[in-house]
Amino acid sequence: MTGELQFDGLRRRFGSVTALDGLTFAVHAGQVFGFLGPNGAGKTTTMRAIFGVASLDAGDIRWRGEPVTEQARRRFGYMPEERGLYPGMKVLDQIEYFALLHDMSAQAARKAATHWLGRLGLGGREDARVDALSHGNQQRAQLAAALIHDPELLVLDEPFAGLDPAGVDDMSAILAERAQAGVTVLFSSHQLDLVEDICEAVAIIHHGRLVVSGPVADLQRGERPRLAVRVAGDQDGDWAGAVPPELGEVETVRGGTVLFALSPGADSQRILDIARAAGTVEHFSFEARRLSEVFRQATGASVGQAEAEHAAAALTAGAAQTDGRTAAGATR
Amino acid sequence: MNQRALRMTWLVARRELQQRGRTRVFAISTIILLLAVALGVALPAILAHNAKPERVGVVGTNPATLAVVVQEAGRLAGVKVTVVPQPDVATAEAALRSGDLGAVLVQGSEVLVKQVPIGGASAAGGTLPGALAQLAGLDRLFERVPGAAAAAAGGIALPVRGLVPPSGTLANRLTGLFTVVIVWVLISVYGTQIAMGIGEEKSSRIVEVLLAAVRPVQLLTGKVLGIGLLALGQAAAMVVAFVVAGFASGSSLVHGAATGIVLTGGVFIVVGYAFYCTAFAAAGSLVSRQSDVNSTVMPIQLPLIIAYVLSYTVLYANGANAFYHVLGFLPPTAPIAMPVLYAAGDVPLWQVMVSAVLCAAATVWMARIAAGIYRRSILRTGARVPLRQVLRNEPAQV
Repeated sequence: MTGELQFDGLRRRFGSVTALDGLTFAVHAGQVFGFLGPNGAGKTTTMRAIFGVASLDAGDIRWRGEPVTEQARRRFGYMPEERGLYPGMKVLDQIEYFALLHDMSAQAARKAATHWLGRLGLGGREDARVDALSHGNQQRAQLAAALIHDPELLVLDEPFAGLDPAGVDDMSAILAERAQAGVTVLFSSHQLDLVEDICEAVAIIHHGRLVVSGPVADLQRGERPRLAVRVAGDQDGDWAGAVPPELGEVETVRGGTVLFALSPGADSQRILDIARAAGTVEHFSFEARRLSEVFRQATGASVGQAEAEHAAAALTAGAAQTDGRTAAGATR
Repeated sequence: MNQRALRMTWLVARRELQQRGRTRVFAISTIILLLAVALGVALPAILAHNAKPERVGVVGTNPATLAVVVQEAGRLAGVKVTVVPQPDVATAEAALRSGDLGAVLVQGSEVLVKQVPIGGASAAGGTLPGALAQLAGLDRLFERVPGAAAAAAGGIALPVRGLVPPSGTLANRLTGLFTVVIVWVLISVYGTQIAMGIGEEKSSRIVEVLLAAVRPVQLLTGKVLGIGLLALGQAAAMVVAFVVAGFASGSSLVHGAATGIVLTGGVFIVVGYAFYCTAFAAAGSLVSRQSDVNSTVMPIQLPLIIAYVLSYTVLYANGANAFYHVLGFLPPTAPIAMPVLYAAGDVPLWQVMVSAVLCAAATVWMARIAAGIYRRSILRTGARVPLRQVLRNEPAQV
């Protein structure tokens, strides 16, 4: 597997919890890449590992074919999930500080900080304290901190969490613009369907393992593209019984619309012919699968179920750890 | 350390200086501390001017002449005096011990005081016993040797004898108490600030963004350096206030031993801060929520609290016990205990220096342990990190 940013066999255990279990995927240059999966799938651990702020038990992360070094990291921009800004510090000072820490000169730092705050709609709020900003504006300030040194790789952990629709649009526009400028953008989200239009390619993970990865368009189509056909007057889609199984299987019937999972290489026009023979065809189109559906098909569980399962497992693991500690203390 | 490391460390330190130095809390606390110092120094001097007359006993065959000498000495020393004739030396000594008399002039032989000040009799030139000794000595000379008045321009003093061994004067003890309060306040306030600041960085995950650009040791060093410079600045301002207020009010505190006590305190603020700052940093790195910081820094402050509480027993008694002497040489307790011992006149200067060097050496050792804890726990979230685990575990790859 090749790519600008490669993850190869990442493994990490926290006590009895396996966070990463041989995770492997690659991100190509200049892409907006979605790193998706339910909460607890191991996304944050992976992103932190890029910056060396989480250690790995095994596996390696490569940037342009080389293991990620301290020097390389300084050309990365990072926006952690929990917002990493000093609450009592003025916005401009703060962004400038991050610029200085990334080896920019004082002059360049001030200029870039002013530029990015203006660009992100925080012009005029430079002297406001971070804790005086609204949630959306704090998010913008955080993004400015990640962008300030013009990074080659932008890593954002749940950048869309808690944003209103306008905020989501703003954020996605900026990510797209950065990718246009040649920056590789990797962002995580547990809201699979919210972000499917934003990214070009995704990796979906579960239990620290890759479920599926590739261009969004390919995943939405899948190996068996979905065809939606409705014949006027046939509410139950009975006409579909005439479709031979080698063409495709009926997935479901939704309000008279029959959804077929087309067999690989099958000719969709033959299904159209059968439909027309049965009556007036009101609707005939390929339908994109939602990414949440792709996840469900691959794992057998919905994203919500997976998250509930993870939360329960974390509770049990926590209890087990506590017990273990008590027992160890008692025998000491 | 290469140039980038120095630059990063300085950037971190500068942020601390700017952010904390700019706050109203810092300005107000500085003003309060300076006022406290100025008052602490000037108040005894101001009160002394309105003091009750000092009772001076005289023993001799010619009370009238002695009374003149005592009055004149009082005038020279700037103290109101009352002459109390005594039948004999034994009675006078008893009155001296009971505190009924402040000093006794024995005609032609000596000046008795309860305790000779730590600087010795000669250093007491500006005090009442010193003036008494000088004048009475002159008087004796004139009586015995005709024409000696002309020769005695330099002044020949009677010996000043103390009934109990010399020890720190009350002024010195008060200065000592005052000094250790400052040492204690500065180390504990700024130490807690370090722990809180690191707790904040950890709990808000700022540290993740910072550590993507800066190494943990740079972040740690910059933090304690920046906050330390603020503490040092405040301490220096207080010493200046001490000296200025002392001279302005004519306080005896700035003369002789008291200045030495303040300087000793200054030295131990620096080494004490250096010793404790990294420990506070390590404590801050163990918590995940800022509200946990207070309970985590408590054990660190314990040695200081013990030394501080016990310091009262030294300052209000004559001579420290062996236990407190030991505390004076143990690095965790030395920053408080040693200035106390010195102020009480229980240790010579060279022992103070030995203790300071020991403490400075222990700082290196403490910094290594604390930096290790910090490095391993700063990125670990969830419940508070058990210390045992942090000490045992391999360092994280950061």
